[in-house]
Amino acid sequence: MLDIRNLERRWIKYKIKSYAPHIVSAIIVTIMVVLLPFIWSDSKENRSIPETTSLISSTPKATPTAKVLNEESSTVLEPSMDFVQSFQPSTPITQTVATVPQKIEKTSLTEIAPIPTLETVSSKGSGSFALNRNGSKLDIENIERRFKETSNPSLGLFIARYYYDHGNYNEAYNFSLKTNTLNSKMDESWIIFAKSLFKLGKIEQAKKTLQVYISESNSESARSLLESIERGDIK
Amino acid sequence: MENSLFSKPRDLFLDIVNPKDYVQIDSVSHIYQSLKSSVQKPLKMILLFGKPGTGKSMLLHKLHHDLSKNQKVLMFDIPIVDEYDFLRVLAQRIFGHAPREEMTLTRFLEIAEAVSYSEVPIVLLDEAQLYSASLMEKIRLISDARAIKFVITLHKTDKEDVIAKEHFQTRIWESIELQNATAEELKVYIQKKLLKSNCFDVANMFNDKNMKLIASLTKGNYRETNKLLFSLFSLYYWYEENNPTLIKYNALKSKWIEMAAIHTGLIRA
Repeated sequence: MLDIRNLERRWIKYKIKSYAPHIVSAIIVTIMVVLLPFIWSDSKENRSIPETTSLISSTPKATPTAKVLNEESSTVLEPSMDFVQSFQPSTPITQTVATVPQKIEKTSLTEIAPIPTLETVSSKGSGSFALNRNGSKLDIENIERRFKETSNPSLGLFIARYYYDHGNYNEAYNFSLKTNTLNSKMDESWIIFAKSLFKLGKIEQAKKTLQVYISESNSESARSLLESIERGDIK
Repeated sequence: MENSLFSKPRDLFLDIVNPKDYVQIDSVSHIYQSLKSSVQKPLKMILLFGKPGTGKSMLLHKLHHDLSKNQKVLMFDIPIVDEYDFLRVLAQRIFGHAPREEMTLTRFLEIAEAVSYSEVPIVLLDEAQLYSASLMEKIRLISDARAIKFVITLHKTDKEDVIAKEHFQTRIWESIELQNATAEELKVYIQKKLLKSNCFDVANMFNDKNMKLIASLTKGNYRETNKLLFSLFSLYYWYEENNPTLIKYNALKSKWIEMAAIHTGLIRA
């Protein structure tokens, strides 16, 4: 004799059991579909963090640019040189960066500020403000140490440029010479080398150097400098 | 319940072996013809093997039914495991000799030699795996003496054990294997069985989806199919009596097929 009610109950259990894997799979798929956009956006945010970091680290780079742009509106930016630590060998040194040491001249080097920060932002009347940033002697020493360790010509050029801007033409001569030895195709290094010679009174040697370099590289800036020396435009 | 549509189909699928219920399916029919022709050959022993429920017993009964009209055929569907009893029953039913003394093999062979038939008598032994090795050895000696021709059936799992024995390897001249039915064969089997008993309405309820489900549940095993359909029609019978509005006459309900499978143990739930 069949117990139909019992059989029906067992059949329901059987169906639940047989559908359970499908139901679980469907739930997992649904959860995945629902969570996927969140997971995706999270991963996107994680990816964007380094970008933010690089933006932060590049802020000092932007600072001198801002300085140049705001020179006319009497904005004074005084950058630290700590950002140089982030230089890579392949990173080209732009002319904008070259303006950095000029402002360092105005900066008191006695104060130590290892992390580039905006220390003072003072308003100077309507539409004008001053932004002061202090560098350190340790910065250039640190760069010199790194240059010795890595023999990175970009660092050598930077040091040469620094000393030239600070009027230390002997050191500028030395470091530009080292840089030229490491990489003989760095236009600016040759220019600083020649200018340093000129400043040290070795005008003929400077001219000769520029002539040799122009014949090798056909550099316009070298030619322009040579013409300036010959005309006596340069002091 | 009188005039029930499902009581007759239910009884059709009772798991009993009756040669009259034999359903002719192409593959089985081919095997049966092969078996029949093998019996006509001067073979000593014919082995019919296959998994349980593949129709061995039915074929043996069918063979017995067909051959017994023309020649001496003895069917042992329930094995007699005692050797002396076996020989005594064999001597009595084949040769009509019922000795009072204990029947030994030697005595049996003497009787067999004394009684000669124009055709060698055939003995059909179902479930031969139940016979002892010693008795099987005696059966071999009897067949070797050409006193009796044996057709034996055994489960496939036991085949290797029996066949592996040297004496059987050399004596069995023909072995026939029975397989489970395919879904298509199973459909033919069910339809023919129902139509044979004029259950046209019920036969029309089986569609391809139903057959696919039944074949997958029973794996083409005739015995399991019989059991499943017996339970299924019992279910239909119950619903017909208690809740007839649930019955759809254009197709079988998959749910009820599965319930029947649960009842017969094909589905564990």
